[in-house]
Amino acid sequence: MNYPLQALIAEITHRCPLHCVYCSNPLVMQRRAGELSTAEWSSIFGQAAGLGALQLHLTGGEPLARADLTELVRAGRSARLYVNLISSGVGLDERRLDGLIEAGLDHIQLSFQDTEEGPANEFAGARSHALKLRVAGMIRQRRIAFTVNLVVHRRNLSRIEEVIAFAEGSGAQRVEIAHVQYYGWAFRNREALLPTREQVQRSIEVVEAARERLKGRLHIDFVLPDYYAKYPKPCMNGWAHQQILIDPAGRVLPCHAAPIIPDLEFHSARERPLRWIWEDSAAFNRFRDEAWMPEPCRTCDRRSRDFGGCRCQAFLLTGSASATDPVCMLAPAHPLVEDILQRVNTGPDSARQNWVYRVDPN
Amino acid sequence: MSELNGNSVLRLAPGCRFTAQENQENMLLIPEGALRLKGPARAIFELCNGERPLDEVIDELRRRYPPEQAPRIESETLAFVAQMRDRGILEVV
Repeated sequence: MNYPLQALIAEITHRCPLHCVYCSNPLVMQRRAGELSTAEWSSIFGQAAGLGALQLHLTGGEPLARADLTELVRAGRSARLYVNLISSGVGLDERRLDGLIEAGLDHIQLSFQDTEEGPANEFAGARSHALKLRVAGMIRQRRIAFTVNLVVHRRNLSRIEEVIAFAEGSGAQRVEIAHVQYYGWAFRNREALLPTREQVQRSIEVVEAARERLKGRLHIDFVLPDYYAKYPKPCMNGWAHQQILIDPAGRVLPCHAAPIIPDLEFHSARERPLRWIWEDSAAFNRFRDEAWMPEPCRTCDRRSRDFGGCRCQAFLLTGSASATDPVCMLAPAHPLVEDILQRVNTGPDSARQNWVYRVDPN
Repeated sequence: MSELNGNSVLRLAPGCRFTAQENQENMLLIPEGALRLKGPARAIFELCNGERPLDEVIDELRRRYPPEQAPRIESETLAFVAQMRDRGILEVV
């Protein structure tokens, strides 16, 4: 089968002033000294566009930690890509924002960790909330597409009405209310972050009502926690089907979490053309098509919709990356997920957490 | 939201634009995604240029399409534009 590339996710640095307890970055991060140069990224953007990519997502770490961010935005636009910045806002001032817009930035996604300063700073492991509010004010004064991202979990999901009201007041056109996905640092904090079934059910009802009320003013994207789903998510719309992620040192991956899977060799964009990695490398072809699928996926009607779910989650939970994603109710390993949910829904709810905070590489 | 009428003037919202990639002329890029445009969708987006009221957009479409389609053009264009406005892809000027 043919897989046209659609988007490049460029993790341009792992450096970040925040230490979020659910960060999706790997536990072992790339240091500043190994980061790709401006010229290396520019070449990669051109190669991605040559493979058909339309979108470039600049993310991190915190992309603003790179002094050449404005140049990278310009390079993305020169490669005819749509340039999206995913940022905490820490490090942004009016001058820098104007420079990014002038360079052709198409869209900003600004993260908040909560609607209230106390919990926001607790989850971020940094005093960042007040600063983010000022950044939101700067963005809404300018003509640029603006999305607010707010991660929800057990500690704030009961305040979902406040989350929506906060997004309404932020000046954003869109809000992404995203449940934590359990990879990286979030996996380490999983039992403290997983919401209860009752919280999830109620949040779905609140969001549905808000969508109707806010139609045309605020678009709500709502990402559900797949541990509570009947069927798995079509992770990345399929392994190496549409997207490439490149880490700060140039390692080319099908997604954020893929390096946790042993026995897969991932290549560097410093050493190989992107086209070879995308089309021919063994790791990218490992979970394409259907030959790798186990039962019950292999004969399942849903296999072309969800591709057997997430390979990284299958590995994290079962030790085998080619197992059916255990969040699927048909998966042989589904009892693993039911056990966790049983604990979360019946266990004591301690207010004090011993969070494992993301560390910053230097 | 106010109702749209023939005097409403719309344009693409910030962050929504056609791709500059070759052979992808029917793709509209939007925040967090892309829309593959079919039929007259691209023409409608181009005609909603922030100056032309919807009545004129519809008149222009009537000129471009065969006369037997004229009765559908007004209602279908208004419905499409309203849907795109609700999704934040078109904004009222």
